[in-house]
Amino acid sequence: MLWYEWWRETRWRFLIGLVVLMCSAAGIVSLWPSVRELVPVASSLQGSGRIGRQIRESVELQREYPGYVWSQWFRQNLIMFGTLFAALLGTGGLLSQRSGTLFALSLPVSRKRLLWTRAATGLVELFALAVVPSLLIPLLSPTVGKTYGLGDVLVHSACFFFAVGVFFSLALLLSTVFSDVWRPLLIAIAAAVAMGVSEQFALPGSHYGIFRVMSAETWFRNGQLPWQGLLASAAASAAILYGAVVNITRRDF
Amino acid sequence: MTEPPIIETAELRKNYGSTEALRGLNLQVPAGSIYGFLGRNGAGKTTTLKILLGMTRPTSGHARVFGLDAGAPEASVAIRRRTGFVSEDKDLVDSMTVEEIVRFTAAFYPRWRSDLAQRYLRKFDLPPGKKVKNLSRGTRTKVALLLALSRCADLLVLDEPTSGLDPAIVEEVLQAIVAHVAGEEMTVFFSSHQIAEVDQIADRVTIVDGGRVVVDGAIEDLRENYRRIHLVFDGEAPKPAFRAPGIVRTYRKGRELTVLLSMGVERVVEEARALNPVSVDVIPVTLKEIFLESVTKED
Repeated sequence: MLWYEWWRETRWRFLIGLVVLMCSAAGIVSLWPSVRELVPVASSLQGSGRIGRQIRESVELQREYPGYVWSQWFRQNLIMFGTLFAALLGTGGLLSQRSGTLFALSLPVSRKRLLWTRAATGLVELFALAVVPSLLIPLLSPTVGKTYGLGDVLVHSACFFFAVGVFFSLALLLSTVFSDVWRPLLIAIAAAVAMGVSEQFALPGSHYGIFRVMSAETWFRNGQLPWQGLLASAAASAAILYGAVVNITRRDF
Repeated sequence: MTEPPIIETAELRKNYGSTEALRGLNLQVPAGSIYGFLGRNGAGKTTTLKILLGMTRPTSGHARVFGLDAGAPEASVAIRRRTGFVSEDKDLVDSMTVEEIVRFTAAFYPRWRSDLAQRYLRKFDLPPGKKVKNLSRGTRTKVALLLALSRCADLLVLDEPTSGLDPAIVEEVLQAIVAHVAGEEMTVFFSSHQIAEVDQIADRVTIVDGGRVVVDGAIEDLRENYRRIHLVFDGEAPKPAFRAPGIVRTYRKGRELTVLLSMGVERVVEEARALNPVSVDVIPVTLKEIFLESVTKED
């Protein structure tokens, strides 16, 4: 029953996240005909240096439907909104939840179990956010005369889930440190932005770049799973969650 | 054979930074008692209750409930399984309805009595479908009490159960506690700074001040033993030098000398008469007076 309390606490965040991501996924599929028409126009765009290279790469990707879906959804919208909602789902731990802290602590349940149950419930919600909106891609693709492989969706969603779990865990850990919702959320988002920027400039092409793992770029480009990045992300999430449990078991309420 | 105490603390200390919340608290709460834990705001009452339930760890000393170490995580879970708790803020899950929080709580207690929960729902006139966040403070208190009573706990720990309630609800809550305890074998340990309610329902009391126990005993015994002796002299009252034990405080003002004592009234009266006063009056003392005398600093 413990999961139920946490579900009550986070269900609106989860449902809003689900709706936003589903709308975004459906929007991407429905915009394909317009994008296809714009690609020849975009091809004539000239640019030099890093930006120019990125524009050309982006235009090239969008010539074909799989490249368009990957670049717009798995590399962009899912990562952007998904990271935000992962941090949102992770915030509001025992310390910073709006109500019921002492009530929860007075139940005949160890703090370790309280936090693990919350982490597990949040991860299930996060998994649903990773998979359900992405499933709309193969479902809706026939409406624009295209198909998209279910297997690809599952691989991308799984990679996204493992990598974004780091930001969920970080927010959960921060929620055992701060007694409000905002600081854990803002710090987790700031960490994601900092990692994104450093990945762009300091670690381009790294196996451990978290957003590269999240988008499963190696799978899209050459059919290889980013095993090293996945294992590193899972290990980081587990370590951060363990830190959250240690922190919550040691603190006074 | 004497039954072991349900709650026992020994030299319990708790520091928050440089603030000493508890300074060597020693408590023994016997089984089956309604035990009032009286003290001013900030006296260390809530800290003590939180330590007993494993929510806060002591800096030093020991706290045992049902003979189990309250500071050990596993033992603490076992303690909470047998304890009903109502926090000072009546903290509940705001997003749930009354019905949902009853169902949710019931899942954690194997001895939960649905019939009792239903009875208290009716008795307190609680709205099952209303969200907890929309309840008044009085109704929240009743919900918290329902959850604490229906689990058939061996111990009820109540932190300022009536704070912020109007007199009618205070009476209703106190009556419910007393009526429940009368029909069950349970111990009630409740903190308060309302002397009247402790006087009304408790059979034993500990007065705590500055993180230390200053008065402890059965209320009847306190009433029996505490006395104020009022002496009037012809001239200036002499400086008192009583040898008898139990002197709590003495006041001297002009021709009058007042002595508050916790025991041995005959011996003190005997010593007082040796001072040749014009009159000696022995006056009973109320719990309120005992409390005020115990927690007020001497000038």
